[in-house]
Amino acid sequence: MMRLALCATMIAGSALAARAQPQKIVVGSPTLKADETMPRDYTPDGRNLSPPLTWSNLPGATKEIAVVCEDPDAGNPPPFVHWVIYKIPPTAKGLPEGLPIDPAAPMPSEIGGAIQGISGFRRAIYRGPAPPPGKPHHYHFVVYALDADLGLKPGLTRADLLAAINGHVIGQGEIVSIYERKAP
Amino acid sequence: MTFISRRDLLKRAGALGAAAAVPADVARSLEPSEIAPETSVSAEAVALHHEAMAAAREPLENLTASEADLLEAIVARLIPTDANGPGATEARAAHYIDRALGGALASSRQAYTSGLAALDRYARSSRGKAFTELSTTDRDSVLIDVETGAATGFTGSSAAFFALVLNHTHQGTFGDPYYGGNANFIGWDLIGYPGIRTMVTAADQKSLEGHTLKANHKSAYDYESFTKASASLSRRSSGEKGA
Repeated sequence: MMRLALCATMIAGSALAARAQPQKIVVGSPTLKADETMPRDYTPDGRNLSPPLTWSNLPGATKEIAVVCEDPDAGNPPPFVHWVIYKIPPTAKGLPEGLPIDPAAPMPSEIGGAIQGISGFRRAIYRGPAPPPGKPHHYHFVVYALDADLGLKPGLTRADLLAAINGHVIGQGEIVSIYERKAP
Repeated sequence: MTFISRRDLLKRAGALGAAAAVPADVARSLEPSEIAPETSVSAEAVALHHEAMAAAREPLENLTASEADLLEAIVARLIPTDANGPGATEARAAHYIDRALGGALASSRQAYTSGLAALDRYARSSRGKAFTELSTTDRDSVLIDVETGAATGFTGSSAAFFALVLNHTHQGTFGDPYYGGNANFIGWDLIGYPGIRTMVTAADQKSLEGHTLKANHKSAYDYESFTKASASLSRRSSGEKGA
């Protein structure tokens, strides 16, 4: 009996350790290059489309995926949030470019059911970098793999999302892009 | 994407009714929000939409032709015409603004001159075309950037210009038709406002509560107690607040 209890404790401990250190997801993009300048079309200086993302090395137990784009160089308090999207199906290999800005428009079939949450612009869509001139800002596209379908509702902010997924993140990765606006 | 939902319009109909004779107050009672066309509008309203569309453009009073074209394109996205019914275009909100810029809104004339020019420059620099040549999706995207202050090239924040135009679009869509907007009472029909009444009977009240009170389609100035003469006199006073 004692041995069984010890095993259970060890298994639980392993699970906790796994949650403390999520598996590293490899995040990429056909158009964003890590730690390089973001193309204009993903900013309000261009078409302000949401950028395409890809990911691999998801944990096998992934039940849904969430993505946040945040700028730790801005916000009060930081980060300023540019994008929140969740309930992405575990079969998705990434996000296509230019997700709808019309809330009534359907999501692309490969990410059917995905929901865009509320950004720092108070809109449920992607809005790209618009930093004040002066220094480059860093835009972290963070991908979370979750171990359960959490029944997340529309209208979540980044803070809401992170609170809801706390304890369920089994994989995580990011790609960082940079953007700077010059003074006119 | 649009900037005001029909659901929100209906929710706010009561407040609008109370303020219907005071367009500036009407406008201030509304704020931009996420759009999802969701409720239906009467067939009469749709018919009026076609009637309004057929009407020839009247001579402009203050805006240039290119400014008016651009403003028409903007207000058409702020309160859009869609399957649910008419919007700011049919209400002739831009006509209201053009007229008011020579009177109650004269202090905003320079803001329109610089703001409209800046918006078009921004559309060209970011999307590669004049605003009026963009797809509706790109027009909405531009307007969101202007609304959020992300657009460049404006005097001050683009958000201030957006708020100005949105406010005046609300006035032109939901204000008293006497001021040049809310053509054929489209705005009031859109939100189910049954019209200004100087007397409400018990039967009227019952009908109102049952949402069956027929719109009377009367301007405040159709009543002797609030005459067009007094309103015109008031409008001639430059610097007057409201519209």
